[in-house]
Amino acid sequence: MSQSNPDRTYVESTIIMTTVRVVVPFVFTFGLFVMFHGAESAGGGFQGGVLVAAAVLLLAFAFGIESARAWLEGPLVKTSIAVGGATFAFVGLGALLGGGAFLEYEAYGFGTYGVKYGIELVELAIGAVVSGVLISLFFSLASGDFQASVPADSNGGANAENGGVNAENGGVNAENGGVNAENGGVNAENGAGSDANGDGRDPAVSATGTDTAVGAAGGEEA
Amino acid sequence: MTAVSTTLAIVLTFSVLAALAAILLRDVLNAIIAFAAFSFGIAVAWILLAAPDVALTEAAVGAGITTVLFLVTIAKTVRPSGERLLETVEWRSVAIVVLLVGSLLATVRSLPAVGAADAPVATSRITEYYLQNAYPETGVENVVTAVLAAYRGFDTLGEATVVIAAGVAVLLVLRQEAYV
Repeated sequence: MSQSNPDRTYVESTIIMTTVRVVVPFVFTFGLFVMFHGAESAGGGFQGGVLVAAAVLLLAFAFGIESARAWLEGPLVKTSIAVGGATFAFVGLGALLGGGAFLEYEAYGFGTYGVKYGIELVELAIGAVVSGVLISLFFSLASGDFQASVPADSNGGANAENGGVNAENGGVNAENGGVNAENGGVNAENGAGSDANGDGRDPAVSATGTDTAVGAAGGEEA
Repeated sequence: MTAVSTTLAIVLTFSVLAALAAILLRDVLNAIIAFAAFSFGIAVAWILLAAPDVALTEAAVGAGITTVLFLVTIAKTVRPSGERLLETVEWRSVAIVVLLVGSLLATVRSLPAVGAADAPVATSRITEYYLQNAYPETGVENVVTAVLAAYRGFDTLGEATVVIAAGVAVLLVLRQEAYV
């Protein structure tokens, strides 16, 4: 099974990791530039947000999707979606308080500068929304086994019900888990404290998930 | 033919070939790579047509993120067995595609030439208004951004809302509370 699908597994590659480590700061900076500088040159919030998301996706491809997920865990991404949307709406509503129409930047009373910086704030808000949505979309598509969020004790029951599908997923997870353990060491060298924390927990979680999945698969085949 | 139109012809030919490859290749992984090449060709075509904002979007979304999302999605499927490289052609589908492409190509003759001074979009009073007033009124040098965020800001708020709503809907369907 896994021999016929070599593209499913994460392969740790020094070349890819080194390249990504060099390229990502530039991609990320360029994304922010496109977002901030959309008023003077080509670009804007949508394009810049996609570029910022692409930087995170590059990291996920090079260092493993599970490690990247552990690194990004917490409310940061979903907060950026919500704050971006709210910022855009409040920029519009604030103009009403100033006596203007909805989104009438002149109502802030700073003349042309008010319009320009209002537009740039709106572009940043759009960038936060777009990058947040794309990053979460990527991780929820990539995570594959949709039991990831189910607690461990109900996991066994769910696996037993659709054992055929999980048998394949279990195989993939087993390889991923092994790779992540190595990856934890790499990240620890980087000195990211939160990474060590997340990775310390993650292999344990995926290991138990794999165990139950393999067990259920074995039962199904027998 | 000027240098730009020659380059454009080359780029469009490349895009058409990449699109055909994306349709005909049997392995989805190959088709996705061909589709990314198609998006890249179209992005270059937008640059040649002096539309850098659209080119940036096409390159980042079409060739970049969409390809990645396709890749992580097909990573969950199995590759087709057998050595056959190309998909078998269904002639009914070909007939529909030919009909659609033919009717679209029939409209090309009525389009103004690229960069023509008498094109409706160049002589329109609205275009004139934006070009004249966008900078004095908004202080923003990129007219596209001025139109998107100031003159049509309400539309753009709607777009951002659509992105949020679509994202939340997809994430709910995929049920990844572990992440979002």
